[in-house]
Amino acid sequence: MSDFRGRRLAVMRAKIAALESAGRAEAGVLPFGSAEIDARLPGGGLPLGRWHEVTAGGIEAETSAAPAAFAALAAAPLARRGEAVWVLRRDDLWAPGLAGLGFPSGRLIQVCARDEAEALSVMEDALGTVGVSAVFGEVEAVDLTAGRRLQLACERHGGTAFVLKRRPYGGAGRKEAAGSVAATRWRVASAPSEPAEGTFGLGAPRFEVALERCRGGRPGAWILEAQGAYSWEAGDVAHPLRLVAPVGDRELAPASERERAPDRHAA
Amino acid sequence: MSPEAARLGLRVGQKATDAAALVPELATADAEPEADAAALTELVHWCVRFSPAVAADPPDGLFLDISGVAHLWGGEAELMADLRVRLLANGLLFRLTIADTPGAAWALAHHGRDGTIAPPNGQAALLKPLPPAALRLDPDAAAQIERLGLRRLEQLMDIPRAPLGRRFGAATLMRLDQALGRMPEALAFRRPPTPYVARLAFFEPISAPEDMARVTEDVVAKLCARLEAEGRGARRFEIAFHRVDGKAPSLAVGLSLAGREARRIARLFQPKLETVDPGFGVESVTIAAYAVEAVSGRQGRIAGGDAAAAEEGLAALVDRLANRLGPTRVWRAVPVESHVPERSVRAEPPLGGSKEEARTWNPEAPRPVRLFRRPEPLEQVMALTPDDPPRQFRWRGRTHQVRRAEGPERIGEEWWRRGIEEVSVVHVRDYYRVEDQDGARFWVFRAGLYGDPAAPPKWWLHGLFG
Repeated sequence: MSDFRGRRLAVMRAKIAALESAGRAEAGVLPFGSAEIDARLPGGGLPLGRWHEVTAGGIEAETSAAPAAFAALAAAPLARRGEAVWVLRRDDLWAPGLAGLGFPSGRLIQVCARDEAEALSVMEDALGTVGVSAVFGEVEAVDLTAGRRLQLACERHGGTAFVLKRRPYGGAGRKEAAGSVAATRWRVASAPSEPAEGTFGLGAPRFEVALERCRGGRPGAWILEAQGAYSWEAGDVAHPLRLVAPVGDRELAPASERERAPDRHAA
Repeated sequence: MSPEAARLGLRVGQKATDAAALVPELATADAEPEADAAALTELVHWCVRFSPAVAADPPDGLFLDISGVAHLWGGEAELMADLRVRLLANGLLFRLTIADTPGAAWALAHHGRDGTIAPPNGQAALLKPLPPAALRLDPDAAAQIERLGLRRLEQLMDIPRAPLGRRFGAATLMRLDQALGRMPEALAFRRPPTPYVARLAFFEPISAPEDMARVTEDVVAKLCARLEAEGRGARRFEIAFHRVDGKAPSLAVGLSLAGREARRIARLFQPKLETVDPGFGVESVTIAAYAVEAVSGRQGRIAGGDAAAAEEGLAALVDRLANRLGPTRVWRAVPVESHVPERSVRAEPPLGGSKEEARTWNPEAPRPVRLFRRPEPLEQVMALTPDDPPRQFRWRGRTHQVRRAEGPERIGEEWWRRGIEEVSVVHVRDYYRVEDQDGARFWVFRAGLYGDPAAPPKWWLHGLFG
């Protein structure tokens, strides 16, 4: 790529970003601390003041344990700056588990909404609150209108939202909305852990994380490890997620067979 | 002391052993001055049905100012009869008298005949035969007067005032004057706590939703202005819409922290207003504040964003959510010292709870992110006895091969919570953290121990680590 072309591209990117932000101040980014991942994200980190989608395949689309763990890990540095609100549909989130991963559970307010629309409106309400830095919401789907509203709520005070796509138990998957205004979309699955040499049991939790969509960035897939999980140092690391290995090009190696199969059933 | 005891020659102030020597079958009970005081306060509040002006006279009396109210009963005697019947119905021991002055009434009640009604300006004649103690003097002074041979008040009344005052002190003179009505006496009347209420009445009944919203704001503002002036805030507000047909539907909102910001509170009412049926119209609105407590004022911000901050702060959010969804649906998880997983978390109100930030769960014990409210049974579990983790299990129709496992972490029951005979060493759960072939991590446990053929252990899935 010639230098001229690169510069042209950079200028155009800046123009598009300015158009998209519609004059609002940039809320900044939250770097993962790994050059490999941050290079794929616009601005060198997870964009703040936007909302992010976290999905999972198979049974995890119903239980949403790995997405919850990933979202909590990714947002832990954010939650330390203010209060976090987690909007649930089913009351099964367990604070000791989050605390073990290094999430400041003392700063978490849990809200159990009665239905989908209420969950989304509670998320909006929480995002419009000064002092709330991260909002998690477990909803089945976010349509374009709801997504846009969520985005506007994020822009009010620079709050960041994580939407965990979660199906009700036994429910058939709803049809995916055609488009989405989410800043990023992640697909998360648990990955086998690797205990250190000479130790028993399980190693630190690992996740296979695929960045499927990213505005102004490039998709990618990695194996991430929750460093410091289940130790007293859990909350002291700069970023609780550590890159273990890239999964390779997404086009060449789509998500594993295990995740794909149930989706076909649902379709 | 009961009347029977008095008849047997016992008196107040006697030593319990002396009394027991006189009357061996004496039943004694501990004195409870606080309970007595509380009961007297209760009685004072109850007596408001006879007169608005009631004053307690601790430890065991009360004054009712019945000036101008006796005619409602048809006369003083009828009032007293009614009071007597009602007190008797409550099983109280009492003496009632009516006189012009509190002092005379007290004297007659304590030393005169029960039920005496002194005629207007006639208390002097009735007081004459009473002992000096009837003047509400302190016991020593009264005993001193009696020792000098002045056994009746008429003797005291005959002594010229100047020598009397010089000899027995100004207090005696004052009490005598108060009893005879020569000197006014101020009673500390019961003062009911001024309730925090506000009311708005309208010329025309209203029913339009926007009118309802506006009057809600106005009446909240009215009450909040008063709270502001008194440096107080309230945690609960109840608003009632008094309809033309006499019904009064009401709404209530609660706050997580005591507050008095009118706009914020009015906004909590807004979404509920549509549930109020105005019927043929609402004539007046009342609002009451409960759980009122002192709230220090906050300094306004120099940038002028104070109103916005109050509107958009965390407390406002919690209030909005708690009022919309119900207070049990908004919580903060707080650690509880318990090994039993279900009990180690308590849901607390998100704000104003204990400030023990440092307290947390032991992070070295891995705990799942999702905990099922009810553990789910596992099928086709293959595990080596006695305490190996499962090799394979089936959950929700899928078979999982366990690749790695950790455990057991044995969690026993909290034996101190139940009867000792129900405690058993087999009431244990052995928890394992297992990882299947795909990397999914589960928190499974075996309830019970191997070895008892009657109750084979069962395997359960309690949570997911993700």
